[in-house]
Amino acid sequence: ITSTNVSLSCISEMRDKLRKWREENYRNSEQIVDVGEELLNEHASKLGDDIWIIYEQVMIAALDCSRDDLAWSCLQELKRQFPDSHRVKRLAGMRLEALERYEDANKLYDSILQDDPTNTAARKRKISILRAQGKSSEAIRELNEYLEQFVGDQEAWHELSELYINEHDYAKAAFCLEELMMTNPHNHLYCEQYAEVKYTQGGLENLELARKYFAQALKLNNRNMRALFGLYMSASHIAASPKVSAKVKKDNMKYGAWAASQISRAYQMAGRGKKENKCSVKAVEEMLESMQITMS
Amino acid sequence: MGEVELSCLAYAKMYLHASQFPRCSVNGLLLSSSPAGAAVCITDCVPLLHSHLSLAPITQLALTQVDAWCSQTQQRIVGYYQANACVSDSSPTPCALKIAEKIFEQCNNAVLLMIDGEKMFPGCRVPPIVMYERKDARWTLKDKHTIMLRQWEETCSIVNQLFSSGDQTLLVDFDSHLDDITKDWTNQKLNAKIMELISPANGNV
Repeated sequence: ITSTNVSLSCISEMRDKLRKWREENYRNSEQIVDVGEELLNEHASKLGDDIWIIYEQVMIAALDCSRDDLAWSCLQELKRQFPDSHRVKRLAGMRLEALERYEDANKLYDSILQDDPTNTAARKRKISILRAQGKSSEAIRELNEYLEQFVGDQEAWHELSELYINEHDYAKAAFCLEELMMTNPHNHLYCEQYAEVKYTQGGLENLELARKYFAQALKLNNRNMRALFGLYMSASHIAASPKVSAKVKKDNMKYGAWAASQISRAYQMAGRGKKENKCSVKAVEEMLESMQITMS
Repeated sequence: MGEVELSCLAYAKMYLHASQFPRCSVNGLLLSSSPAGAAVCITDCVPLLHSHLSLAPITQLALTQVDAWCSQTQQRIVGYYQANACVSDSSPTPCALKIAEKIFEQCNNAVLLMIDGEKMFPGCRVPPIVMYERKDARWTLKDKHTIMLRQWEETCSIVNQLFSSGDQTLLVDFDSHLDDITKDWTNQKLNAKIMELISPANGNV
């Protein structure tokens, strides 16, 4: 498609795609490079002021795809337009990170922070470098320090919870997720992740908490299959425990049975007309059956 | 010191799995349709997770479901694979050891396979894998000479073909299945495509 043949509506469609991906923070870098490169190479004149944010978006995606050629040219355009910008400097740092020139990247970020100690982007990049280098405990320490100052940074709390999960420090991961649930009470994913952490910690109390939060996640999004399975599994384990009262056992068997029926239904609907998921449907049925046996 | 044979099908899907999620740690189970014996024939694999590998519920769920599927299809779980997000580190994580240990309880020549991300580049002549076996209550590195990848050149070419045809996007892992349960984690469609590419003259891989 040459530039003369592409209609304005087509260009506008591509711009909308890029905007959507920007707003939703998708990391579909190959698609972004695909669409973005065409827009920038062929239709730059029609992008107006959007062009700068598109250069930034495409540059980051290009780094993700090892397209240093594209990243470099985007960076040059941005440097030319915004010669003293910290935001552009940070992008230059990201390029150095992609090239694994971590010392040079850190120097760049340190110079930003010297100029502006409140620059959160530069601080986060430094923490990302620690992560990339496998220095988890340092990354965790830095991130904790960061959060003492910027206690409302959701992205940072989530990053910290991920780091703790990787380090098997489930208690601290739970704490981070509690923060996130407090500030995002309608987010079913945080509830479900919290439940998974509690389940992993194990023990009757944690299993009951897990069950409650799986249930909460389902209330917020009744199609969350992880939450549904989680509810089924935690209720089944509680019911099977010799330490619970008859009433608790009965209640949890009820929850488990409800979850099992929901799971069955979901898989029946999914399996309709699709020969290829016969296997997964059968596997689920067998699993539900076998767990029924251990429960009673 | 038993021999381990890794089929093209199993290798291809592991490779595709690691490639599909380059920024994540991924893991999966290694299966065998051969009877138990001194040698381990890894004939297939099931890609499991690309997030929160160390959390219990989904891992337990996946193990149970794969177990059920295996008994329906006369296969056994004979090992576990993992590719770490951090490319320069291909050593088994505590979670990898834990799951491998569980598999060992049922299969005494179980194999722990770590994918070496640093060797995953086009033209690399060495298989990007490191294998461990259980000896003296520890997981120890396996002698490379006991690991067989039949038709290695052909396997590489098949993997390349999958990428150029775009078929690598067909791969479904258990995590993706939970996001959309109409997706098939047994990968029947992809398996068929791979088997098509494996020339019949080379026998059963």
